Amino acid sequence: MPPTITPHQHLELYRSMVLTRAVETAIERSHRAGRISGSFHSSLGQESCAAGVCAALRSTDAVTSNHRGHGHALAKGVTADAVLAELYKKTHGTSGGRGASMHLHDRSVGFYGETAIVGGGIPWAAGVAWAKKRAGTDDIAVSFGGDGAFANGVFGESLRLAKFWEAPCLFVCENNGWAHSMPVEKMFGPPGSITAMVRAMGIQAEHVDGRDVRAVHECASELVQYIRREGRPAFLECVVYRVRAHSINDADYRYRPKDDGRQWLDANDPIEASRRELDRALPGRAAEVDREIDEIVRRAVERAEAGRTPTPADAFKTVYASEGLEWHGSVEVR
Amino acid sequence: MAVLKFAEAIRAALDHEMAEDPSVVLMGEEVGALGGVFTVTKGLIDKYGPERVMDSPIAEGALAGFAAGAATEGMRPVVEIMFSDFVMLAMDQLINFAAKIHYMSNGQFSVPAVVRLPGGAGTNHGPQHSQALESWFAQTPGLVVAMPSTPSDAYWMMRESIRLDDPVMFFENKNLYFTAGEDVDFTEGPRGMRAAVRREGADLTVVSAGRMSGMCLEAAATLEESGYSCEVVDMRYLWPLDLETVAASVKKTSKLAVVYEAVQYGGWGSEIAAWAARELFTDLDGPVHRVGAHRVPIPVGVSLEEAVIPTPATIHASLLELAKF
Ligand SMILES: Cc1ncc(C[n+]2csc(CCOP(=O)(O)OP(=O)(O)O)c2C)c(N)n1
Ligand SMILES: [Mg+2]
Repeated sequence: MPPTITPHQHLELYRSMVLTRAVETAIERSHRAGRISGSFHSSLGQESCAAGVCAALRSTDAVTSNHRGHGHALAKGVTADAVLAELYKKTHGTSGGRGASMHLHDRSVGFYGETAIVGGGIPWAAGVAWAKKRAGTDDIAVSFGGDGAFANGVFGESLRLAKFWEAPCLFVCENNGWAHSMPVEKMFGPPGSITAMVRAMGIQAEHVDGRDVRAVHECASELVQYIRREGRPAFLECVVYRVRAHSINDADYRYRPKDDGRQWLDANDPIEASRRELDRALPGRAAEVDREIDEIVRRAVERAEAGRTPTPADAFKTVYASEGLEWHGSVEVR
Repeated sequence: MAVLKFAEAIRAALDHEMAEDPSVVLMGEEVGALGGVFTVTKGLIDKYGPERVMDSPIAEGALAGFAAGAATEGMRPVVEIMFSDFVMLAMDQLINFAAKIHYMSNGQFSVPAVVRLPGGAGTNHGPQHSQALESWFAQTPGLVVAMPSTPSDAYWMMRESIRLDDPVMFFENKNLYFTAGEDVDFTEGPRGMRAAVRREGADLTVVSAGRMSGMCLEAAATLEESGYSCEVVDMRYLWPLDLETVAASVKKTSKLAVVYEAVQYGGWGSEIAAWAARELFTDLDGPVHRVGAHRVPIPVGVSLEEAVIPTPATIHASLLELAKF
């Protein structure tokens, strides 16, 4: 089916992808320069999944994510400022600078957040979706997970509960070919295999080629409409590719050819594909977006560099939510 | 006011909270049609319907995450884990998510959920249905750990737990469910998560919680026959830990024993003992005693089981030795 979205919609999808690419490229630079440290899992090359899916959502829909979640956050509307500040562990970060790359949370835009436990965010989304339906809205929740997460027990259980209790939840599987050093083909079979498993559970499930952000968006939009209308869960497998090593410190040359990711990107980059298309449909506009985003990210890095580091006392805040329990630590009562 | 057994008191608390707050829902295996394997939720499905008393597929891991997730969205789920031993399957969601999401999100999300955990030995259910796991949870920042010992406390602590904005691990000892009932006052009860002095005494203090509280009272009564007067403190909550009440008691008696059903090694009672050894050093006139379970799986049968966990007799022996010190 040929894409039906307009060039202007396409440009917005492009903007979303480029924002993630620019932020993650900046993070890589800061890492290499020794300005930041800690985990960092790049979604370079697979930005189309977050962009295409999140463009089908409202700000009141909820998204949960995984360790490779910068794109999910940015596509859902978290600012580059808040993401970069969190990576720099500064107080104006999404989590006050206490979580960094794998712990982005911004409720104000419906980005409920990442989790560093593979599969951990999946039941969260199901529970939120169910509660939203109960509250009488037609808002939904979406969980993003990697292919690796779909070997996890809690994934199967979450689908079971979401189906049984009719939670309006979209489970997105970003099949990027790898779960760290484990090839997906070896674990599950060719693309679409996970979709077939889910379909066999009686859940609406589709898979889509993630190299075309428009196809992702259209497929996601249809599923989102189905979920809102029926009040039931659905599943989307988005076939992308992990271009970078698993994490910034991962020796991926031990399990795949050194330039494997680069070669894939040269031939399949979804951003390049969109740019070629947009240069025909809306000449000059893509380059304009590139410049705008460069500027946004440049400033965000500056503000992150200049931001305030939390004080030691901040480590003891918000352990508990209840009044009277907000005290900490070892038991030092006299 | 009504005379209620422990199980009935929890049911009454659930009933009253559900009547007052539509966001309170029950989830768990067999909680609806059957009314719970220990009858705690019996009849609630008739009153509140399957929308609020939700029989769950056997999927503890996702259930914990689902309930905690719904809690971040404003629901107040009370989840029953049929036997506390099965909570292992839910640990990731409870420890890595429910306990920490408030902190990880810098206060943006909270998890006002209660996890009901029928636990403890004494019912011949064997090593995978009889553990006392409360120490694990008392160790985890972000969790509240409740362990009532009387019907009245079961009622009031459940109501208090449901109203908290943090996840509560609510330990219910299976042996207590159907023991003698007591008057439960529905209009007023203890608040503020403090420990309770169950018996006043002058010569030594014994601290415990849950089922062990009753055993300590028994042991204290026997000790009286030897002329020693033992104060019995029931902690009620293992976090927050009301050490002020313990300190006040020990300042009076100068001697402290800690009794708990969990494995003695590394258990919550050890924490109180270690704390007292330093903070109450000048008040103490004897070594701090601990009576906990041996580091052995819980076997079936009275002869084996009583060899492993504290009993009124072993508690009494320890208290007598301490009293004579
Ligand atoms: C429960 C758990 N097991 C293992 C890990 C370590 N780990 C982090 S990411 C990862 C691979 C995940 O693969 P996938 O879900 O496909 O996501 P991707 O990294 O490909 O985006 C592993 C094994 C973890 N964080 N959590
Ligand atoms: Mg993967």
